[in-house]
Amino acid sequence: MTVQMTLTPAETALLDALDGATGWRAATRAALENRGLPNKRDEAWKWTDLRRLTGNITETGKISIAGSREPDAKLPVTHAPTDMLPRLAGALGGEARIYTLSDGESLSLDLSASAGVGHVIYVVEVPAGVSAQVFERLSVADGGFANIAVLYRIGEGASLDRIVSTGDCPGILALSGGVDLGEGATLRQTTLTFGGKLIRLETHLAHPGAKAEAVMDAVYLLAPNRHADLTTTANISGPDGNLSQLTKGAVASHGHGVFQGKIHVEREAQRTDARMTHRALMLGERAEIDAKPELEIYADDVQCAHGNALGAIDETALFYMRQRGLPEAQARAILIRSFLAEPLDRIRDPQIRDSLLEDLVTGLEVLS
Amino acid sequence: MPMLEISNLHASVDNGEKPILKGLDLSVPKGEVHAIMGPNGSGKSTLSYVLTGRDGYDLTDGKVSFEGEDIGELEPEERAARGLYLSFQYPVEIPGVPTLTFIREALNAQRKARSEDEVSAPDFMRLIREKAAILNVSMDMLKRPVNVGFSGGEKKRMEILQALVLEPRFLILDETDSGLDIDALKVVSEGVNALRSPDRAMLVITHYQRLLDYIAPDRVHVMSAGRIVASGGPELAKELEAEGYDKYVRAA
Ligand SMILES: Nc1ncnc2c1ncn2[C@@H]1O[C@H](COP(=O)(O)OP(=O)(O)OP(=O)(O)O)[C@@H](O)[C@H]1O
Ligand SMILES: [Mg+2]
Repeated sequence: MTVQMTLTPAETALLDALDGATGWRAATRAALENRGLPNKRDEAWKWTDLRRLTGNITETGKISIAGSREPDAKLPVTHAPTDMLPRLAGALGGEARIYTLSDGESLSLDLSASAGVGHVIYVVEVPAGVSAQVFERLSVADGGFANIAVLYRIGEGASLDRIVSTGDCPGILALSGGVDLGEGATLRQTTLTFGGKLIRLETHLAHPGAKAEAVMDAVYLLAPNRHADLTTTANISGPDGNLSQLTKGAVASHGHGVFQGKIHVEREAQRTDARMTHRALMLGERAEIDAKPELEIYADDVQCAHGNALGAIDETALFYMRQRGLPEAQARAILIRSFLAEPLDRIRDPQIRDSLLEDLVTGLEVLS
Repeated sequence: MPMLEISNLHASVDNGEKPILKGLDLSVPKGEVHAIMGPNGSGKSTLSYVLTGRDGYDLTDGKVSFEGEDIGELEPEERAARGLYLSFQYPVEIPGVPTLTFIREALNAQRKARSEDEVSAPDFMRLIREKAAILNVSMDMLKRPVNVGFSGGEKKRMEILQALVLEPRFLILDETDSGLDIDALKVVSEGVNALRSPDRAMLVITHYQRLLDYIAPDRVHVMSAGRIVASGGPELAKELEAEGYDKYVRAA
């Protein structure tokens, strides 16, 4: 039995945009009509109700991309991504931009979205043996809903440093990232976000084992009325793979942070080493943090661990610092900064590292 | 007028549920060093927290004035900027914050609060090198996060180093001698004695005479059950060492 649901104005506008679609686009339209945009009844979205918050955004917006260079190609999207949001980005985001990185390249992409609904899809190819870096900065204006999908293909023995940073986001941002990691390849991903009206940052890692290494680190600092949801899945399909995830967050009263991390180790993935840690500070009594770390292990010879800890600022340390003369707000900021900095300290590019650490300090000033 | 004047001080913890200080009187004139001795749990550390304004240590009655000013309502950082310094019985670890950075920020925060100029980075380095040499503290240690992984004795030396840099007007040393070996005790005592001046005063909390052999106190007070129950000259410390607190605890 299907329960007829009332579509939101945003959903109706998306259906209109897909009118007359064929193939997987038509299937996407049907799925949207049936299930609507992701919402809290979907297990993977129970803490991030995109449907509710996008409800009235109907007009068409624009996502402008300022890159350090133009894409190498723009190609029509022929294959359907799996999940609803990247499917919509594929169906409505026009041609996919293809960036093929060269050895030693550092690509930066600034995506800024206006009010209204915008979709973008792009693909980054890191060919076998190539070492490169991508720095994505994203912002969404008030009244905007930016739906961005990206696919990374990291070839055999290639190495990618990916840094994602969200700036001012009074609007809604969904960034869905797929990463296909080749044998012996390396991914070092670091995300920094200050949240938005709603921000969902997803990474779905296809990990072959095979001496490939992946680091997926993240930091979130959320002021009142800011929301950020960091969701990752990693599927490790072969032996001798490495994965390490460290997410650190701090949330003020009336801010809402979400961390969902799932690591799936297949039966063939013997000798996997996978670690996932989430630690966050509640900065006020009305801070909200939801965390769901999951390990699903089907191989028997693995080293896997996950940890999840929520706490408050160490009041004893705070008093110690104030006793030495530091004003309370400054002492708090120092403690929060030192707590959050660890994942950022691991960014290898010194300029990007420093600029993100500076953003963090600015974010803390805004908070106090 | 004494530099620090405490009268009829009552203080509680646990949201006022648990009275610890029960009518404590004490005055410390400028230029003097006073020692407080007393059994475990008599409220010595509590007194140090109440004086420095720690949250959760509520002054419920009585008065604390510092250089004529009632400081009972001031924030901890305001008291610090006025020159109150507490060397903690258990110095606190602060992961991720290098000791050098911490001391410099603290010094500049205090100077700013007193409308004085900040100390430049090179001047600060000169200052800290000079003071660290007095206490045998290495630059290497100063680069590590505050107190993280320091031995008990190293932590105590770091407390006194910070005092030498911050140059407070009134020092409370809460069992600064505990955890120190014989050589470190000597080094730390020399550091403390370097701070003795006609413009400064100190309150030295200790269980042992050996510290007072180095830091000769002007007065010695006995604390029991939240009050000062006896006061005397340096000979009182020697008597306590020989005879224990028995007669004072019973008297209280
Ligand atoms: N935050 C607190 N909550 C509850 N009880 C407390 C708190 N702080 C102190 N106390 C109690 O107050 C009493 C006095 O403690 P305090 O630490 O001041 O003693 P002290 O004289 O410094 O002892 P010591 O010589 O062992 O250092 C003790 O019974 C202690 O358990
Ligand atoms: Mg004590």
